[in-house]
This record gives sequence, structure tokens and C-alpha cells, in this order.
Amino acid sequence: MTGDSIQRSEDAAQVNAERTDVERDDETPSETPCTHLRGEDLAIGYPTTEQPVVECERVDIPAGEVTALVGPNGSGKSTLLKAMAKQLDPDRGHVLLDGAAIRDLGTKELARRLGLLSQENEAPGSLTVEDLVYHGRYPHRSFFESVNDEDEQAVERALELAGVTHLRDEEVGNLSGGQKQLAWIAMVLAQDTDVLLLDEPTTYLDLHHQLRVMEVIRTLNSERDVTVAVVLHDIGQAARFADNLIAMKDGELYDWGPPRKVVSDELLRDVFRVDADVDADHPTGPHISPHRALDD
Amino acid sequence: MASDTQRSDVASNANRLPSWLDGSLLTLVVGSSLVVLCGTLVQVSFGAFSMSIGQAWSAVFDPVVWSNPYVLLKFFFGEGIAETLATTFGLSVASVDLTKETLIVWNIRLPRVVVGALVGMNLAVSGAIFQAVTRNELASPYILGVSSGAGLAILLTLVVFSGFASFLPIFAALGGTVAFVIVYAIAWKNGTSPVRLVLAGVIVSTVFSSLQTAMYLLASDIGVVQSAIAWTTGSLTGTDWEQVRMILPWTLFVTVPLSIVASRQLNVLLLGEKTAKALGMSVERVRFALSGVAILAASAAISVAGIVGFVGLIVPHVVRNIVGSDYKRLVIGCLFAGPALMVAADVGARLALNPTQIPVGIVTGLVGGPYFLYLMRKKQQLGEL
Repeated sequence: MTGDSIQRSEDAAQVNAERTDVERDDETPSETPCTHLRGEDLAIGYPTTEQPVVECERVDIPAGEVTALVGPNGSGKSTLLKAMAKQLDPDRGHVLLDGAAIRDLGTKELARRLGLLSQENEAPGSLTVEDLVYHGRYPHRSFFESVNDEDEQAVERALELAGVTHLRDEEVGNLSGGQKQLAWIAMVLAQDTDVLLLDEPTTYLDLHHQLRVMEVIRTLNSERDVTVAVVLHDIGQAARFADNLIAMKDGELYDWGPPRKVVSDELLRDVFRVDADVDADHPTGPHISPHRALDD
Repeated sequence: MASDTQRSDVASNANRLPSWLDGSLLTLVVGSSLVVLCGTLVQVSFGAFSMSIGQAWSAVFDPVVWSNPYVLLKFFFGEGIAETLATTFGLSVASVDLTKETLIVWNIRLPRVVVGALVGMNLAVSGAIFQAVTRNELASPYILGVSSGAGLAILLTLVVFSGFASFLPIFAALGGTVAFVIVYAIAWKNGTSPVRLVLAGVIVSTVFSSLQTAMYLLASDIGVVQSAIAWTTGSLTGTDWEQVRMILPWTLFVTVPLSIVASRQLNVLLLGEKTAKALGMSVERVRFALSGVAILAASAAISVAGIVGFVGLIVPHVVRNIVGSDYKRLVIGCLFAGPALMVAADVGARLALNPTQIPVGIVTGLVGGPYFLYLMRKKQQLGEL
């Protein structure tokens, strides 16, 4: 299984690399190359656990693509994402950002290149959306520096991209859950990073806002070549919006690759323990019709 | 669409420049200044030596004082430094004759008001910082063991090492700092967390308070006990220009500039540890440094007035209710509202039971308790920021 997996991952990376190269040549040849995030030989645990929660030989977040991490509750998606963002120090192995170990990067330097939106976020209720988004500029400002033109432009772009320009003077405490999430997304967008990691950004949102969030992510990826990794609960949504899926089970990578390849009856049965039919040829990506939950 | 965006750009720029200085903050600043002014008026007018309000104010603005820089320098810097300063700048050092009223106002009544205002400023800012660091609205300058450490140091000095009584303010501040360091060490386990910091504070406070109580039993002299009570409840009785000289440099060079500079870090901390870290903040380092600033501010206040309770807890609350949670505005609000509460409370402490003076800490406690009751009833959620 493992040897085969590595082989498969290298194939996928190869394919991905070729694909992005071609795309870049076609569209914007002068664009700076996209950033690539990779974990090698990782074992990740929490201070309170003895055994690592996640172990994997290699995980790739290919440059300039949207990668979705899917899997059942407790499969280690969020843990892996936290380690990739240096929020958790892995017990073993390292995470490489364009080949450089993130462990060696300064906290602010890393925050200028890699953004992370956690699952649950709390802000003082009386904070306005605009002020919240300005906090995204934190890593770009030194201790005594005040707001400059570049910060203002980044904030305007972020507000517009997240579609919350009209909410800028609203207090965060008065927003709906969906609007709040979009405001937080605007904040990480203002951070202006090459890599963006999002931990379940659509959970608890209504369908409208779920789609809004996914559309923002797609736009960001296509317009600014940002490398995105996103933990998603809904595998149907992941299959539709992501270029790559990483399916996790019990703290290990089960499979990865383009959705049409990864999503199958077998995956749903083994990983999600759901009896389902998959229509792999559906025009908007593999379409899943779940029937019933399988017993252990 | 494009023109829309542009318009909102312009609008936001126009709003942005003075955005932190809006109506509510301005009202607070002006209102607080008025309270301080009225408090000063009352404090200088009434007392054992009675004079009319007119006399008191003509003493405050006595031209003999204001036209002689050396006299002013002597008040603020003490005789030695004042003389050096005066001679370097070529000012006259001739002694001037002041009227009795002027002497009483300038030597006895005015310094007490100034000390009170500075104590209030330091405590309020210290509380505001601790509330952000621990992300807890109920945090106060004394939450992390500071008051118990300072209290123990005070009692140790008065009871055991009575020969060092003149260093008492310094020992009090040191005691507070030591307790804080112990609290931090207890709370540290692969980093700290607000909850663990508060719990460690409770542990250290409990132990130190027991030791304090034990000290009272060792005290043989009732005078020592009274002095200890005055210090541990906080009092401005008998404060002088010497106390102004002790607290003023800390306030001007530490509390005020550092708290204003730190307001952005405080705002980012309020977004939660995870977000702050993801934005590239070294959360532990910043939290420790900010706590350090708050400890210095609290220690400066303790060293001149003892442990005045509730000011550092209430003032940030009141200010937050008025100006919101943005720390730039909150800190500036506290710099004005802190003195207002302290000066007003000291009016009560000094004059309510005239001629007996009660420690100002008792008044702040009497005001603070009911205010919290009111808050508890009015607000659904009290606690987490």
C-alpha cells in the first residue's frame, strides 16, 4: 500500500506540475511561479497524546491548485492542516514551503507567505469588518509602522474579492454566520499570501454562503494563482470545487489525486462508511448519491 | 460598479484619518477631564484649614508660583535636580515668599490630587492590558498575583524588616513582580494559556494571602497594623510631591507610550491565540512583554498608594461600554477615565467622614461592587472578551 501510494503521489505531482506549467505558459508567462507546500515523513501529535494522531510519508499541496482534504470526523484533516501551517510542531518530519523548511522561517515571514483560517474564530463584537480585515496586514507591518497605501489597496482588494465591501462599516457582532465567515476570509485575503489554508470554512453555513465561500476560493485561485488547501466536510462539494482531493482515514492518507479518480464507491465505503453510487462522468465533477450508512 | 468602489474608497479615507477619535471617545475625554477638574476644585478648597473656593483657586493659579519656574521645578523634581536644572538654564534660584494659602494648596492638597490622577491612569491601563492578555473581562491589575505579592512584601517590610520601611514602595512593587513571575512559571507548560494564567494567579494569591494573614498575627504594635491596612487597601493619605516624583517618570515614559504603542498588538491578541499566531505574532513573547508593561504600571501605582482595588477592573469596563473594544481608543479612554474615578473617589475618602480620612481603596470598593452587580444584571454575558 505505502510503496504504491508514494508512486501514485509522485505521478500525481508530476501530472500536476506539468499541468500548472502549461497553464502558466498559456496565460501569464511573466507571473511569479506559484508556491508549493509539501510535508515529508510527518508524524504529528498533540502534547496530550502519546501516539501521533497523523502519520504520512508524504503529502503534497500542488502549486497553484485547490486541494481539498476530506475524510470522516477524527481522521486527522485539521491536525495535518495545522502542522502544514506551523501551528503544531510535528514530532517527526518537516513541512517544506517551496523547498524551505517552515520551521526555519520567522513567524512573520511565514505569515507573509502562508495564511491560515482556523475553524472557529472569535472577534470582539464591536469590531468593524474593515478593522478586522486590516488586521490581516499585521505580518506586513513592523512594530511602529502605520497603515500605508499598499495596506489600503490590499484591504480594498480583499473586501471586494470576498464580496463584503458593502459590509465594511458593520460590526462583526451584528453579522450573520455566513457574512462573518466571509469577513474572516477577507481578513486572510488581505494577508496577501501565496498559500492559503482553510479549516472547514463552510461548516455551519447555509448553502448560499457555502457556495459563496467556495466561489471566493476558486476566484482567488484562478486570478491570483494562490495555492489553496481546504478541509471540507462535504465530499460532494470537494469533488466539485477542488483540483485535487486528499482523502484521509485514521490519521493516514488513503488516496489522493483529481476528484474523478479519487471519488469512487469504494472510497465512500472504506473511508466514509457510506453505501453510495458515484456518477464519475457527471459534467460538474463526480456526483455522489448516498444511500445509507454502513455498519462497522 | 467601478465608480461605486471608488466612492467608497474616498469615503473610507475621509473616515480613516481621525477614525479612532470619534464622538464617544471625545465625550469621554472631555467628561473625565471635567470630573478631574471638579475633583481638584473640591480637594483644594476643603480641609482642616478652611478657605473659600475663590481663595483656593487664586492659590492654585498664584502668579508667584507660575512665574517662577524654579518653584515649579522644585515641586516636580525635588530641590537637588531643580537647582541643577535652574542653574543650567540660567533661572533664578532665589527663594520666594508664598502666602499661607498657596503653601497649603501647593504643598499638601494639590500633590495628593496629582498622585491620585497618576495612580488612576496606571491602574486603568494596567487593567485594560491584563484583560486583553487573559482575554477575560474580569481580569484586573491584580489578577496575576500582583496584589498578594505586593501585600506580602508590605507586611514583611513593616513587621519583620521594619528597619527598611523607607524602601517600602520599592519592596511592594518588587513583591508584585516576583509573584507575577511565579504565576507565569506555574502556568507555563509548553506555553501558557489565559485560563492557566488566571488559575495560577488564584493559587499564588491564596498562598500569599495566608502568609499575609499570618504576618498580622506577628505584628506587636497596633500602629504597624494600621499602617499595613492602609497599604493593603490603598490610601492617598499623606502623599506628597515626593510620591509625584516617584510615579511620574514611570507614567510618562513607560505606561503611556508603551500602552499606546502596544494597542495594535492588544487588538490582534483579542482575535484569539490561533489567529494571532497565524498572522505571524509570537504570541508568548508578546503576551509576556505586555504583562510586563501592565505589571510595571500596577507596581508604580502600588508603590505610592498601596493596593487600590477595583479601579483597574471598573475603568476599562466603563470605557469599553462607551468607546467599544478597539484598544487604541480604549487605552486613550483609560488614560482619562482612570484619573477621573480615582480623583473623585479620593474626594470621598478624604472628605466624607471629615476630619477622619478613610483609605481610598475602601471608597473604590464601595463604588465598584454595586457597579459590578449592575453589570451582572444588565449584561447577558460577562467574562470572556
